[in-house]
Amino acid sequence: MRRFKHHVFRFATGACVVLACGVLVLIVLAIAMRGLPAISWQFFTEQIRLVGADGGIFYNLVGTFILIGTAFIVSAPIAVGLALVHGVYLRERRHRERLTLLLYLLNGVPSILFGLLGLIVFVKFFGLGKSWLSGGVLLGMLILPTVTIALIERIASLPGKYVEAAAGLGLTQSQIIWSVILPQSLSGLVTGSLLGLAHAAGETAPIMFTATIFAGATFPHAIKESPVLSLPYHIFILAQDSFDPAVGAKLWGTALTLLGLVLLLSLVALPLRLKIHEEAHHG
Amino acid sequence: MAESTDPFLGAKGVASHSTDVRFVLETRGLTVRAGGRDLLRAVNLSIAPQQVFGIIGPSGAGKSTLLKCLNRLIELTPGLRVSGDVRFHQESIYAANMDVDSLRARIGILFQQPVVFPKSILQNVIFGTRHLGKVPRKEWPDVAERALREAALWDEVKDRLRESALLLSVGQQQRLCLARTLAVDPEVILMDEPTSALDPKSTEAIEELILQFKQRRTIVLVTHNLAQARRVTDHVACIAVHDGAGQLIDCAPGDELLGDAQGDEVTAYFESRKRSKPEP
Repeated sequence: MRRFKHHVFRFATGACVVLACGVLVLIVLAIAMRGLPAISWQFFTEQIRLVGADGGIFYNLVGTFILIGTAFIVSAPIAVGLALVHGVYLRERRHRERLTLLLYLLNGVPSILFGLLGLIVFVKFFGLGKSWLSGGVLLGMLILPTVTIALIERIASLPGKYVEAAAGLGLTQSQIIWSVILPQSLSGLVTGSLLGLAHAAGETAPIMFTATIFAGATFPHAIKESPVLSLPYHIFILAQDSFDPAVGAKLWGTALTLLGLVLLLSLVALPLRLKIHEEAHHG
Repeated sequence: MAESTDPFLGAKGVASHSTDVRFVLETRGLTVRAGGRDLLRAVNLSIAPQQVFGIIGPSGAGKSTLLKCLNRLIELTPGLRVSGDVRFHQESIYAANMDVDSLRARIGILFQQPVVFPKSILQNVIFGTRHLGKVPRKEWPDVAERALREAALWDEVKDRLRESALLLSVGQQQRLCLARTLAVDPEVILMDEPTSALDPKSTEAIEELILQFKQRRTIVLVTHNLAQARRVTDHVACIAVHDGAGQLIDCAPGDELLGDAQGDEVTAYFESRKRSKPEP
């Protein structure tokens, strides 16, 4: 009887793995089958024509890269600062736990609320209008918890002996931060940022009121009133119009592109993360 | 030893290299508490310059804790409270105006396990020198060579200074750590069982170096190897747990204490050592 239970349990857990893989495979297959016919060199290099029924997504790709690039530049230094506060300056455990709780709370804020916040603060209060900068900053805030927590975990896993050795040579705390802690936790910043950016690249809600439009934008020419096109918003608009077969093909092509971009960012992050675990064991 | 320019030592630091000051380091009523428990209680030590001062005692008696109090490295361990005093050239190192970082550059430390950074051999040797920023960049290679020669490692690594330090043997890594400490030119070197992770040959190499160093530096050596204490120390302090806290049991010139054991604790300690592990 006990052996039977054991086998049932193993089967059930195995089924969970199959389910998870199945969902991923289904999404990839469904999107790839519909999207592949639309993919061509011109699709990536031409701009949108005929309200999405023809042409390509060049400026949507450009816009998405500008948005996530800005999100990286905004989130990375703040994440480093927060992780140093957590790992170096806060000496009491309960203060560190409060900071972690704050990050998880921030992580739980629905992205549509980030969009509304951006509308009030950047678009209206700072008068930026729809601007790539507003969207980039909002996405940066959205991924800040992900990046910070990856960095915090990396700093926490640094062997204390390195800090002790550096302190024993007479280095000041800031010299230790620059010479030991930051160089050795750089991979945590890169991994966390890649995972965060993979998340940010697909977000629609934070940028739809603040940074992105459907058509008519190219490279940003200024900061104020300078929106960009983007992949997720393109999908959002086309999906409402997808009864037209020509639009449908472009929709799935765009979806496949976004999926490819996000999977690529995650896949680059994975080997880096494994490498970190290896170092932690040998260090 | 370079002439001191450290602000907290000033003229006195220079004077200390002559013989008119009897002790380099002194502890007065040094007590370390963790939670409600004393790890170390009321330890009084006086360490004279240019000698090897040994600290012996059973595991868990607080030898390493005592050592780390001598350059305030103990403060990196959370949850400990240090009271009493430690004086370096008659100045309290726990005083509010003490520059801890300069202090640690003057009182270097070598750990039980070699701690090499995942960098090249050269980068490891000059790690302290370059970040302290007192020596111009063009002199770094000279600093590295001098330190590696002093640690008797130069001949083994001079052709592969750019290789990763992690490729060295454990014995070589420990001498590399010693070279890294020497490159900062400390007056005192604290050593926390520096040979316990090493093979006999590497141990012999480190012991020879210790004996050479005392011409110019003061060594405080924690060891649980009595044979080693006999071979290299001039003065020995024995720390053992007494009334639930690590306390100083005896302190005397090495040949006196180790040749003719006195006092119950020291005897008991020697007896237990002899039973568990015969002396070579």
